Amino acid sequence: MLSYNSLRIVCPFRSLLHPNWLMTNRQTLTCSAHCVSNNLTKKDTWQRQNNLKPTGNERKLQYSTYAASSPRNYGTGQFKLNCWNCKQPLDQTPAFFCMTCKAVQPPEEDISLFNIMDCDYKFSLDTHKLQKRYLHLQRSLHPDNFSQKSVEEQEYSESYSALVNKAYHTLLKPLSRGLYMLELKGMVIEEGTDSGADPEFLMELMEINEALDEVKTPEEANKIGQHTKGKLAVLTEEIDAALLKGELQSAKALLAQMKYFANIEEKVKEKLSEFM
Amino acid sequence: MAGTVVKTCLSPLALLTRRLSAPEFITQCCYHKKVVDHYENPRNVGTLDKNSKNVGTGLVGAPACGDVMKLQIEVDDHGKIVDARFKTFGCGSAIASSSLATEWVKGKSVDEALTIKNTDIAKELCLPPVKLHCSMLAEDAIKAALADYRRKQQDDQQEAVRASV
Repeated sequence: MLSYNSLRIVCPFRSLLHPNWLMTNRQTLTCSAHCVSNNLTKKDTWQRQNNLKPTGNERKLQYSTYAASSPRNYGTGQFKLNCWNCKQPLDQTPAFFCMTCKAVQPPEEDISLFNIMDCDYKFSLDTHKLQKRYLHLQRSLHPDNFSQKSVEEQEYSESYSALVNKAYHTLLKPLSRGLYMLELKGMVIEEGTDSGADPEFLMELMEINEALDEVKTPEEANKIGQHTKGKLAVLTEEIDAALLKGELQSAKALLAQMKYFANIEEKVKEKLSEFM
Repeated sequence: MAGTVVKTCLSPLALLTRRLSAPEFITQCCYHKKVVDHYENPRNVGTLDKNSKNVGTGLVGAPACGDVMKLQIEVDDHGKIVDARFKTFGCGSAIASSSLATEWVKGKSVDEALTIKNTDIAKELCLPPVKLHCSMLAEDAIKAALADYRRKQQDDQQEAVRASV
């Protein structure tokens, strides 16, 4: 028969085990809150391994993967994600769908638009291939495919589909593509006057714009359109060369010139539609 | 949807500006009526003789949006701006800013015109934050025109000095 004293001995021993276990849980809770608050989407996943070691205060919580709140490289796969649904690792980057449970995934933070569209990171791009990829992706990602699915999947398909749209339209045109490539290097064209602009160049632009304003026939408008297309083609080649050599300032100046001519091209289209 | 709303209230603008589909337009229903007024009834559109020694020409461009603006001033012998003309290819706010600028410089002396600030132009036209750069463009155009005029005057004086020697 156990005496009361022996019982008392047993109890403290059990309480020795529990505090650590509780601490593990508390640590887990604080860490998960930290992770959630750091991530834009709450569904970014992480897994923890339950290593309940009863000794040692410096318990290192182990994660098989966790959604990085630290800066991430563009699609290098440094930080592996897990499916929000079945918790299996997502092996691809970008991972549109989980290979195991087929659930649609949210878009990764900071993923490069080139990566999404499976295009090489360079200025000369095969727009035909881009379009095929765009249609292929939208066929599976479009929200219309998810009307009967869960709320999470609907949300993810919406955001991924919108991102694919953005990627397609950005990469399709040389101007937006070039500007995006500069942006990836941390360069933007500032708003406001370009104090370094060549007055001769501005004069040329003025003259083209004035001539376009005064056209009376579609043929005259077309002539200006052809001239502008020629200029744009030359600029495209020059920008390609500059970006290949890493001459970012040069590329930036050329893209600014391209912007002016792109505006003129649009005005030509508007003029031609007026004639119809 | 924003496009149809705009079309009903601003049909002439719809053809001539491509800004209507830009995101900033969706938050702002229409251009302010002052901007529309300057657009539909522009003051001082035209050209002055840029070779005249009394005319200063300012030509500026905004690479981010691709707008081009030319502003010219004619100055009399007492240093007073007696005429001003502009030509702007860009959005409604840029056109209105330069139109207003030509109105404001007329009757001012060359030094007074230098004090015109983009913030005054923006305030007068009630420009939204995304269009503030248009008023900056107009201020820069005024300054460029004044600088060109000054340069011409200096060149003239130097020539006169050389001729008298």
